[in-house]
Amino acid sequence: MNDRIKSLYRSHILVNAKDESHQGIIENATHVLEAYNPMCGDKYTLYLKLVDHVIEKATFDGFGCAISKASTAVLIKQIEGKSLEEIKPIVNMFFELVNEESDQAPESLTDDEDLIAFAASREFPERKTCATLSWGELKQIL
Amino acid sequence: MFDPETIKEQFPVFQQKSPLGEDLIYLDNAATSQKPQSVIDAITNFYAKEYGTVGRSSYWLASETTKRFNGVRAKVQRLLSATHEEEIVFTFGTTDAINKVANSFLRPRLNAGDEVVISEMEHHANLLPWQQICIEKGATLKVIPMLDTGELDYNALEGLLSDKVKLLAVTGISNALGIKNDLSRIIEAAKAFEVPVFIDAAQSLAHEKVDVVSLDCDFLAFSGHKLYGPTGVGVLYGKRERLREMAPLSYGGGIVKNVGFDETSFQDSPNKHEAGTPNIAGVIGLGAAIDFVNEIGYAQIGAHTLEVTDYALGQLEAMEGIRIIGQVEDRAPVISFVMEGVHAHDLSTFLNEKGICIRAGHHCAQPLMNRLNLTATARVSFAIYNTKADIDALITALKETQAFLS
Repeated sequence: MNDRIKSLYRSHILVNAKDESHQGIIENATHVLEAYNPMCGDKYTLYLKLVDHVIEKATFDGFGCAISKASTAVLIKQIEGKSLEEIKPIVNMFFELVNEESDQAPESLTDDEDLIAFAASREFPERKTCATLSWGELKQIL
Repeated sequence: MFDPETIKEQFPVFQQKSPLGEDLIYLDNAATSQKPQSVIDAITNFYAKEYGTVGRSSYWLASETTKRFNGVRAKVQRLLSATHEEEIVFTFGTTDAINKVANSFLRPRLNAGDEVVISEMEHHANLLPWQQICIEKGATLKVIPMLDTGELDYNALEGLLSDKVKLLAVTGISNALGIKNDLSRIIEAAKAFEVPVFIDAAQSLAHEKVDVVSLDCDFLAFSGHKLYGPTGVGVLYGKRERLREMAPLSYGGGIVKNVGFDETSFQDSPNKHEAGTPNIAGVIGLGAAIDFVNEIGYAQIGAHTLEVTDYALGQLEAMEGIRIIGQVEDRAPVISFVMEGVHAHDLSTFLNEKGICIRAGHHCAQPLMNRLNLTATARVSFAIYNTKADIDALITALKETQAFLS
């Protein structure tokens, strides 16, 4: 495999796709979001427990490709414990990170390796919807 | 002597490299096939030198075009072994043909409490048009179930048929799994209850001879673009008496005898069913595609694609961690599989890097995927230009992907 694809599937994405630490259901969730891509069938349910504008607990379950699964796992880990106000710029930054037309270098946007790994999807526009599936759903409620 | 490499040379798309400099290995033929130079030339020459309208005007360009246009109709008639030329109606594709039959044939004949029968393996195109009219009319859509092997449960079919059934619609070949259906058996069972039968032959025509008379189906549709022809053109075959008794498939110019504000009388089929200016260049291109197929011959096409399919099956079955979906004897050149621990889309992205084009997903057959408890499969499908070397490249790339991802 060439370096280009290795960068997309670099260890961060493969590891996060297999990370089950935040998988599961929150029974008393305040928000249950469904992230579904009818083009490919990838489907995740995001469970958020929001207390005083802070996401106290967040989990997900569902299935899909490595990119959508890793991006969902990273999203959940990123938002847990943060307020909605804190989350907004992170979500916006993520969309900039994967935007192939962005003139901002990924490294200038974040130094978080879990996130920066997704900048590889700038080179795979056909997989951008995988990377942004759950993020787009969360954006709706912000 | 048949040589697939020589065939490949007739397809200009293969003369280029992928963006990463790899040879193009095209294994998504069940979605759409590549075009030979002869088809491209036919369309280009038509627009450049011979372009005119059909059936309307009397100057030389128009009359020449009308002659060629109807010449293709005669070619399609021979291709399908249809009895009459007027049984061939040009559409914009298979989906268009299905929608038109649903609207023009089924809708006026379907009442509350009636039934329509389809199969569990149908592509969305051969499901949604029927389903929506059933909902509208308070009719019931009944489904021929599939066995775990992927074959239709023919015994269950008998139980679904009755006088209440107003149409049976089924595909010749499953686009997702490559399973060939026993159409003769299905049609014979339907005829016992005088149920009209619609055959979705979108997958069939690329691989095998279809004979509408020996099948005795009422309707059959296919698309040009899966048969080495252009997009936006397809064919609806309908038995002469069916097409006669039906209202026009759509309304517009070119279909009438006399038009008044209160009533209109219509021409006979096929004109009656081809409102508006058709996709003339598409039909010309389809004619060239049929010539291409006839020159090689279905016997050769079938033998070659079967050889490639058997070779691919052997190679895939020998790999660890690959599960082939659908186990049948009679398979079209379509293989669906899953790689353990690797999602089909990730697999497809890896193969893309090697210049290998496959399909990943639910193949527009979500109910089928639900039945098999799958969300997505990887699918490879072969055409006349595919070679064993293509399969070797696929297998090598699959092994690399497996080593990296799982």
